[in-house]
Amino acid sequence: MAKNHTRYIFSMGELKRKDNSIAFRNEKGNFYIPIQDTRELYCMNEVSFNTKFLDFISRAGITLHLFNYHGNYSGSFYPKEQLVSGDLTIKQSMCFIEQRLVIAKAIVEAIAANIYETLYHYFRHGKKELKQTLDWLKNDVKKFLCKDLTIEQILFIEGQIWSRFYDSFKYFLPKDFVMNKRVKRPPDNPINALVSFGNTLLYTKTISSIYETHLNQTISFLHSPREGRFSLSLDISEAFKPIVVFKTIFDLVGKKRLQVTKHFDKSLNYALLNEEGKKIFIDAFETRINETFMHKKLKRKTSFKNCIKLDGYKLIKYIVEGKDFKPFLLKEKV
Amino acid sequence: MAKKQTFNYNYIFLFYDIADEFSDIGKYRVAKVFKICKQYLKHHQKSIFRGNITPSDQIMLETKLKKVIDKDLDFISIIKVQNSGSFAEVVIGNDKKESESIFI
Repeated sequence: MAKNHTRYIFSMGELKRKDNSIAFRNEKGNFYIPIQDTRELYCMNEVSFNTKFLDFISRAGITLHLFNYHGNYSGSFYPKEQLVSGDLTIKQSMCFIEQRLVIAKAIVEAIAANIYETLYHYFRHGKKELKQTLDWLKNDVKKFLCKDLTIEQILFIEGQIWSRFYDSFKYFLPKDFVMNKRVKRPPDNPINALVSFGNTLLYTKTISSIYETHLNQTISFLHSPREGRFSLSLDISEAFKPIVVFKTIFDLVGKKRLQVTKHFDKSLNYALLNEEGKKIFIDAFETRINETFMHKKLKRKTSFKNCIKLDGYKLIKYIVEGKDFKPFLLKEKV
Repeated sequence: MAKKQTFNYNYIFLFYDIADEFSDIGKYRVAKVFKICKQYLKHHQKSIFRGNITPSDQIMLETKLKKVIDKDLDFISIIKVQNSGSFAEVVIGNDKKESESIFI
């Protein structure tokens, strides 16, 4: 349904305002993008536009995400902040000083729970080697998190969870895709490339979702809030990584829709998705993030994408009213 | 009394036939209708648009169209369905434009 709210521009061309709507012009001719039915635009190639266009999409509330030649995220243009709340910003900063650990712990707990759900699927289908990791995720992580911890210790536990998760790939992924070590900037093998690309997409989606709330994008709880990045979206996207990004990857790799020889750039040691690979991945990613399920509390169908926004609302509830903050859990569907 | 509508239509097909052969004014009307439609829907074929649209946007679209067309000469037909999953589609030949695709 909402899949069509997003457009990915893969060809070179020019975006412009035309007849109170958007037109994309490339060598093939004009392509019209309906302004009313678009929420996000992703530019994955050289695209030119002018201030007239930016002003226009800003008024329509469209977010523009830009990527560089290597497919790395370079930034977003988003409309003038309409949802600003000084009150919430002050409370959010207070919360960071006083209750950072509580929120950080809640996020780490959610990561563990969602990874557990993701891996359990493979355990149930005969991959018994996963038992150790599963037990560790279920019991030990909880025990660790009960103690009094510093933020460094919480981050260490988070790192442990991810590295154990990556280690477990060897039990259920084909040999070409096994990961030795998580390497970023630049990723050095196919699976690392997929993880990096997927995380980037999720990160941009989260920025757009947080934009629809009153939260301040720069004050984060698990990651340290440094300058120059919207670290809150790193925090909120964390709980969704296993269920959106990794599920998409496992699905594509398991069904052999993505293959090392076909969909990766050979000249770079297969460490970068080529255009066709990107398209396959984005398509599956969009399908996954727009997949709907019955939300237990709302009692109606919701998509994962909407749940990211709901997580933002939950955080506001915690900051303003002190209501328990519990990120989205796949098992409980809330 | 008409039965109360219990669900919303979220996907529409729009076909138009504007009388443009008889007069120059007709040609202007074609362009106007085209401009209005492309704000809301995806261009599918020469005089056919389709796409997801909210019920409130549908009302807006219809009022805007009513303002520009000549009611005696022009003809616009809108087919509403509940969502993009509630119909089957067969494509024959080269669908080179792929108006529904998320990639450009």
